[in-house]
Amino acid sequence: MGSGIYVQDLPGIGKRYDVDLGSNTQRISVVVRRDGNRDLYVFAAGHDDPVAVIEMSEEQARKVGALLAGTYFTE
Amino acid sequence: MHADLVGFGALVLIAGLLARAGRRINLPTVPFFMLAGILLGPGTPGPVLVAHPEDLSLLASLGLVLLLFHLGVEFPVDQVLGSGRRLFIAAGAYIGLNIGAGLLFGLALGWGGYEALVIAGALGISSSAIVTKLLIELRRLANAETPVILGIIVIEDLFLALYLALLSPVLAGAGSAGELALHIGLSFAYLVVLFAVARFGARLVGKVIDSNEDELLAILMVGLVVLVAGVSAEIGVSDAIGALMIGLVVARTPIRERVERLVLPLRDVFAAVFFLVFGLSIDVGGFGSVAVPVLLAVLVTLVTNVLAGLVAGRLFGLNQRGAANVGLTVLGRGEFSLILATLALAAGLDGRLGPFVALYVLILAVASPLLAANSRYLARVIPDRLLHGGWRYVREETMSTACTHLDRVYITESDAEACPRCVESGDDWVQLRMCLTCGAVGCCSDSVNNHAEEHYRQTGHPLIRSLEEGEDWRYCYIDGSLVREPMGAPRE
Repeated sequence: MGSGIYVQDLPGIGKRYDVDLGSNTQRISVVVRRDGNRDLYVFAAGHDDPVAVIEMSEEQARKVGALLAGTYFTE
Repeated sequence: MHADLVGFGALVLIAGLLARAGRRINLPTVPFFMLAGILLGPGTPGPVLVAHPEDLSLLASLGLVLLLFHLGVEFPVDQVLGSGRRLFIAAGAYIGLNIGAGLLFGLALGWGGYEALVIAGALGISSSAIVTKLLIELRRLANAETPVILGIIVIEDLFLALYLALLSPVLAGAGSAGELALHIGLSFAYLVVLFAVARFGARLVGKVIDSNEDELLAILMVGLVVLVAGVSAEIGVSDAIGALMIGLVVARTPIRERVERLVLPLRDVFAAVFFLVFGLSIDVGGFGSVAVPVLLAVLVTLVTNVLAGLVAGRLFGLNQRGAANVGLTVLGRGEFSLILATLALAAGLDGRLGPFVALYVLILAVASPLLAANSRYLARVIPDRLLHGGWRYVREETMSTACTHLDRVYITESDAEACPRCVESGDDWVQLRMCLTCGAVGCCSDSVNNHAEEHYRQTGHPLIRSLEEGEDWRYCYIDGSLVREPMGAPRE
């Protein structure tokens, strides 16, 4: 894994990747489940629990991933 | 050939509708399947859809077998073997407390020694399916205590295999003590044989049932699993454990993922039938006599779970919220308790076990999601000294966004520009890290030497920060997570 990404095994569910955004006010975690679903957890300062949790199918995650990676555009 | 398709179909449909209604408020499905069976079965006044549950016994057995087979197939062997000693201690404490208390409770009930053994398992072993679903629904996958919870339930599944190996010969009704010892020995020897097959013969087993076509793979798979389960039952080891072990064997073959995908819908349907049929066999008239024992059992389970949560919390340095979450999430009881009750009733043990376990599972199925969701109220009353007195806790925060070791931060800045030990040995490094306790500078985990982590292992100093320009993140080796300042924590 690249620096700033931490992997954690979740037995029976899959793997969790904690992504360091170089900031101590926000952080995201991505859970890749064995069934293909992904969960995106968003944390922000001032909240005990995650401020947003987005559940995506494999297909949806690919779309979002392509957008984030900048490989997908229509114009 | 005659089959009462109308009654059976209506029953399955109603069970599904009930379970769907329950899912709307995040209740687990298993108790609703059972409830449908209880309400529409011969043991309850009112409409009876299936008058002779024994007609469905083959389908129900298939459900039990597939349930345990799937458990074996998806068992994460490597993750379990790779998990540390601490997790085994935490899981051992959980299992010891729950099984121990269950056994004592069973003996105190005075229904008999074998009955007590069954009650120990039914009270002690939580439902992996319910716990896993709960963690996803409560959005706790990123919490620091979640790997601990998942680790505990997976090790619990492993324990289930050993427990079944002990229970089956006991239930088989051996006459003398010598005979019983022989049966138990045989049972464990059979386990060892199947473990050996899993270790050395998995490839061969994979070849036997492999096919490029899903249709054929599904058929070969079901045939093999049912055969192994049946043979196991014949030699007195119970079909349940045979199915579990053949699942572990298949888990080590290259076709594992396809098998997992194919067996899932089959398991879902037939397991639901198994729960239904269990419900059909329950006479509501029996609930009255077991109501008080069930309530006491629920209380016992609650107490032992919270205690086990505190033990895990201490071991893993969790805060109050984390410890409360461990105890209250692993509370779910379901399929295993029902399987054990079925095995016990089939062996002719005290008939009160049926309604006892049914009511116990029903109550905990409703209570556990509610309690887990409101764990913060328990967290508020856990005193600091039960966890780690010297540490400062941020009570409400979930652990992945906070760290319990911030009191060990003494130094936060450094102008070091090199990893001194790499300079000494003439090696290169990628990035620099600094220990926040003593200020030692070392190289990062992408560097050849990873001196920063070595420093942690030698000194136990938990926290590092990055010394790279523009980066201000911190990482805790103990919590295995990124750290930021606790939100709302009193700072001296």
